[in-house]
Amino acid sequence: MKKYLVLLIFTFVTVTGNGENRFPKPDFESGYRYPEYTYEVPDETLWISLDLVALAGLMGVVAYSVLRKRKRMPVLIVSAISLAYFGFFRKGCVCSIGAIQNVALALTDSSYAVPLSVLLFFMLPIAFTLLFGRVFCAGVCPFGALQELLNVKNYRIPRVIAKTLEIIPWIYLIVALLLAVTHSAFIICRFDPFIGIFRFGGTVSMILFGAGLLILSIFTGRPFCRFICPYGAILSLFSRVAVWNVKIVKKPCINCDLCRHACHVDAIRPPYSNKIKENRTVGVRRILIYLVTLPLITLVGAVTLRTSSDLLSKTNKKVQLYDIVTDNNEQNPKDENYELEAFLGQGGKVEELALEVNEIKQKFKLYSTVAGAVIGIITGIMLINLSLKRTRKNYEIDDAACVNCGRCFEYCPQNR
Amino acid sequence: MARHTENKSNPATRRKFLRTCGAFIAGGVALTVSGITLKKLETEEPDMFWQIDPEKCIFCGRCETDCVLPVSAVKCMHANKVCGYCDLCGGYYRSSVKELNTAAENLMCPVGAIQRKFVEEPYFEYTIDEKLCTGCAKCAKGCNSFGNGSLYMQINQNDCTNCNECSIEKVCPADAIKRVKASGAYDLKES
Repeated sequence: MKKYLVLLIFTFVTVTGNGENRFPKPDFESGYRYPEYTYEVPDETLWISLDLVALAGLMGVVAYSVLRKRKRMPVLIVSAISLAYFGFFRKGCVCSIGAIQNVALALTDSSYAVPLSVLLFFMLPIAFTLLFGRVFCAGVCPFGALQELLNVKNYRIPRVIAKTLEIIPWIYLIVALLLAVTHSAFIICRFDPFIGIFRFGGTVSMILFGAGLLILSIFTGRPFCRFICPYGAILSLFSRVAVWNVKIVKKPCINCDLCRHACHVDAIRPPYSNKIKENRTVGVRRILIYLVTLPLITLVGAVTLRTSSDLLSKTNKKVQLYDIVTDNNEQNPKDENYELEAFLGQGGKVEELALEVNEIKQKFKLYSTVAGAVIGIITGIMLINLSLKRTRKNYEIDDAACVNCGRCFEYCPQNR
Repeated sequence: MARHTENKSNPATRRKFLRTCGAFIAGGVALTVSGITLKKLETEEPDMFWQIDPEKCIFCGRCETDCVLPVSAVKCMHANKVCGYCDLCGGYYRSSVKELNTAAENLMCPVGAIQRKFVEEPYFEYTIDEKLCTGCAKCAKGCNSFGNGSLYMQINQNDCTNCNECSIEKVCPADAIKRVKASGAYDLKES
């Protein structure tokens, strides 16, 4: 019975396969000539150059207005321009956030080259961040701009919850890199919450997700940037060591707490005096605990992701195909299974596919172990960071979290 | 001795030093990453567009439904030099039509995007109105099943928004959608 069914599929495939010349070419007697079609390839050079000029220009404007002029208005104007141009006009693709995956793929796959424009989209914001802090996030990124413009109220998320959620961008980034370098999926693009809004269309779930984030961003600052955006995670590293950073006030601080209330991303730390003097043995023990727990968390991360590598590999199309093919060899073939039809039609062999899938799964095992370890290290460092207590005399900006929006110095009474 | 205590009591200078080190490391990483990717560009032409390989396409119809655009960027294209110019066309008429007239219920294309023009006995010239085509691939399937296979699916690069991840590619059962280089933006059927 099974044999019969397979035979049936084969005949079906040969009939529906690519058409050969069943009918001879006609001999026209009326002097008919074949029409000529030319299909144009759009020349995007001009638009892409404009994109890059706009990207660098707008970041320059933000940097100048925030660092030199210390004004918030230009940031808002830049936000509006970027939202209109990068968001609704250029439809937000390719963006710097998604470009992470292309660059990662180019670094690991020898046959994949990333177009110069995509590389620049990835690198320009990083270069600017290294110089001036997260000026890209401020308003040049259409996602940030959208949330910035919508934000009216600033309900503070409790620090415990905020700090826990801040790990998500890192996990998202690492998993996205893992799936990108294994040629499985570009999840940053697929789960992009705002692209549907820019395009006025998309899957219902993504639009709802995007709309939910936008409603949230009315009441609290930039939920996407803080708790989801993987590019923000990368930029926060560069912002931490930026050459020039925003200062709240150049005159003496009067500790009025207004800037901290104004900050919608919770990037301003209040003064704190660390009164508890730690004695030497306690300090040594603390460092020892760090040294033990960090490798432990790393190990836990690596083992967890390694064991789930099989599950992760199911995102790969070849692995999915293999599952479909083997499933159908066991059960009755479904009457309309395009995957199987195409696989058999292209003369695919199950054994070859099995070998390929095995290779992919091995790759997944290796990469997910590394990914798990990295997630572990990051979690560990974040935990250690939380336990460190530093004395602050004045209100200080946490450079990693600051998005250069310019709210704090607008509110500061010393700046008037 | 005095200097020593001053250094100790001023962690800001230590922090500043660490920060400078960090800046150099970060700059180095950024430069290396761009260096490696740039060097690759010298030898390899980057893939720019999405395109369908007509040899692989099995006309499943997912192009119509899975494109992010309201009307899919995938269109039917026609290779006249492959076409048999038949009257009874497998891409034009539905199979099992009783009468060969151009009433809508007899035609394969649901949106009336295939037009035909009488050339000479017994030949008809078929053209696709791409503005109407939704990329459902019904005609291409008919043509490839019963005819020469001159109707085939391609992505019109002027419509395609060139997403970083093509949502049709993710569901294409035949793996027919691939990134192509700008020089090969259309994989046209000829002769």
